[in-house]
Amino acid sequence: MKRCWLIVLLAAVASAQVTQQDLLNADKTPERWLTYNGNYEGHRHSALKQITTSNAADLRLKWVFQKPFKHKFETTPLVVDNMMYLTVPPNEVYAVDSATGSEIWRYVRELPPKIIACCDLVNRGLGLLGDRLFMATLDAHVIALDRKTGAVLWEKEMTDYRRGYSGTLAPLIVKDKVLVGSAGGEYGIRGFIDAYNIEDGKRLWRFHTTPGPGEVGHETWAGDSWKTGGASIWVTPSYDPEENLTYWGVGNPGPDWNGDVRMGDNLFSDSVVAIDPDTGKRKWHFQFTPHDVHDWDAVQVMVLVDREYKGRRRKLLITANRNGFYYVLDRVTGEFLHASAFVKQTWAERIDEKGRPIRVPGKEPTEDGNHVYPTVGGGTNWMSPTYSPLTGLFYVTAMEGGSMYYKGPADYSPGTRFWGGRFVNEHVNDDWYGAVRALDPLTGEKVWEHRTFKPAWAGLLSTAGGVIFAGTDDGYFKALDAKTGKQLWYLNLGGGVRASPITYSTKGNQRVAIAAGNGLFVFGLPE
Amino acid sequence: MRSFRHPSLWTFLLYTCLTLPAWPQTHHKNPYSSAEHLEEGKKLYELNCGVCHGLDGASGRGARLATRSHRYGNTDTEMFQTILNGIPGTAMPGLWLDEDSVWKILLFVRTLEPSAENPCAPDPGDASAGQALFTQKGNCAGCHRASMGGGRLGPDLRDLGLNQTRGQVRDALFRPNEKVSKRYRTVRVSDQDGKQFEGVLMNEDDYTLHMMDRQENVHSFFKPDLQRIGRPSQSLMPGYQEVFTTEELDNLLAYLCGLDSKPGVRK
Repeated sequence: MKRCWLIVLLAAVASAQVTQQDLLNADKTPERWLTYNGNYEGHRHSALKQITTSNAADLRLKWVFQKPFKHKFETTPLVVDNMMYLTVPPNEVYAVDSATGSEIWRYVRELPPKIIACCDLVNRGLGLLGDRLFMATLDAHVIALDRKTGAVLWEKEMTDYRRGYSGTLAPLIVKDKVLVGSAGGEYGIRGFIDAYNIEDGKRLWRFHTTPGPGEVGHETWAGDSWKTGGASIWVTPSYDPEENLTYWGVGNPGPDWNGDVRMGDNLFSDSVVAIDPDTGKRKWHFQFTPHDVHDWDAVQVMVLVDREYKGRRRKLLITANRNGFYYVLDRVTGEFLHASAFVKQTWAERIDEKGRPIRVPGKEPTEDGNHVYPTVGGGTNWMSPTYSPLTGLFYVTAMEGGSMYYKGPADYSPGTRFWGGRFVNEHVNDDWYGAVRALDPLTGEKVWEHRTFKPAWAGLLSTAGGVIFAGTDDGYFKALDAKTGKQLWYLNLGGGVRASPITYSTKGNQRVAIAAGNGLFVFGLPE
Repeated sequence: MRSFRHPSLWTFLLYTCLTLPAWPQTHHKNPYSSAEHLEEGKKLYELNCGVCHGLDGASGRGARLATRSHRYGNTDTEMFQTILNGIPGTAMPGLWLDEDSVWKILLFVRTLEPSAENPCAPDPGDASAGQALFTQKGNCAGCHRASMGGGRLGPDLRDLGLNQTRGQVRDALFRPNEKVSKRYRTVRVSDQDGKQFEGVLMNEDDYTLHMMDRQENVHSFFKPDLQRIGRPSQSLMPGYQEVFTTEELDNLLAYLCGLDSKPGVRK
């Protein structure tokens, strides 16, 4: 009997812990959701297949978790066994029962009164390892919480939030490090990527996304403009354990719409940088939009796939960029392989053989305004795409439309908006709408689309049941057939969906969770 | 254990908390007034405020600033505090700006308001005669609410005098198709049986469309069931250029400019 209890106890302890090996093999434990995008490769795909194209029409609400706040709810929850961990705006963390939504503990961060954040007080989620949770905070700190109680274990300041720095991304945990970066690209920050020791929060390295004197890329900034060049980090990177590289999408250069004060390509703004997580050293980079003047951050999730490409198996990085083009790169070397427009764009004639855009003359912002496609929000944005190994397709939330881009003065003052202009979203005729688009990942060709009345700011989830889950600004949550785009089910959640869905399993029952309005909504099949 | 039970002490503490400015403030009146400062204020407004409130203070998703009735107070001190500290619990953030910059923004915001120099002036004209025109000859009350009665199809005009200049009201009467607010766009649909409906679009999303027709019936349509959705650029409001004499127009404008109540808004 004693031995029996010991086995039960050991099993309980083992299940409570999440190891680095668990994170590496996240695909093999689909009942859990362990990282922001479900796996290190950024797929946001699950092997769960209880919910299928045949029964998705029967989906029912299982529980709702609500809190009173007046900010966008962009969180991706994490699930371990019977516990779900989620952030709630502005900077609260909750542990709830993943079967019922019952609250178990909470952590409420006391924030200073004047947080500087361009686009609402948001947070996109947590990192998790062992018995700890990790969060980047709006006042530019990184904190570690006890997973069982929410107690603060350590807390480190990234930098001074009063100068426009803030943390909004879900950290990525690689080995013994918490990887984060700072938002603030609209406030003249100098962007960076940081690694902190999971045990004590000691900062282990920092990689500046606007290089200083003597660093590669410094010459791409005129004068001292690198000091206020933005290039923020606000979306979780992907990771290839074999190559030991993390892939970070980097934000816009600052000021956003007046490039005159920062002549040059402005590396590593609007780029993907491949960083060794052990050392913080850059292996390669690829810039999607050199000298950007439209605020087209490259903060989209970098999706890692291994596919046959032109006759040989290659390790690819695929991403749909805010500038309106879909890209395929070799993720070992950074070599450019392909680009094609996935939304209407009017700023580039084409992407050349090196991956550099050939610009259409006269598309820069002007004092009187210049109408350019895509919008300032881009062809897509931070919301996660998904890649399904079953269909072999890449799915993205596409946003159609254009903006008026205005150039203005660019005077830097610490902690204030450093925009160098402004924008107005212009809805011309019927060309302002959204779509879930399925793309051939090798060619970028559209396989199908499901149109939405408005551009949506919700991410996508694919499952082994052949279902794509998507949301809309009007509050609809939908299930689509991954092969055809056929709509299988939808429900109005009563609040805009500004988050990316996840799926997990509790007591053998598959659940799908999505944040919308002021609630986290969890669905499943009738039992 | 000490406890505060005296009600007057509580009242004092509450009053103190509510009335203390959240941020130091040197002036109680705007110290700036020059054209140069106004230009600086305009630039600061465009950068910090325009995205939400619109460059005209009326076309953004934020609160209307082109009004003489601001929700959180109209005095310079109140407006200063609102701009500097924001409004807790709303999307209005506080700004990390120095006191001078906030005053300059306020200087510009004041130019968006229908002002003493450019008001919705009740003169010239006879407001009583205008009220009669509103309800009778013009049949404006068929679509607009100007008092407790009136229609629902067009904008509620009970606070018109606070928000518009006399010229803007005249333009809206003469050329209603030039500026059609998003909230009052016209929509025409044909249902499955080919039956036509026309009205003001109340809401539309992926699946549903809601419309108020001229008889104030609210129709709910499931979009996949509709044969056609038309979106004419014309407003349902007719032009009144040929309807009124000059004197009648003055009377009507006098009545409309005198509309200054907005139930539910703290003054």
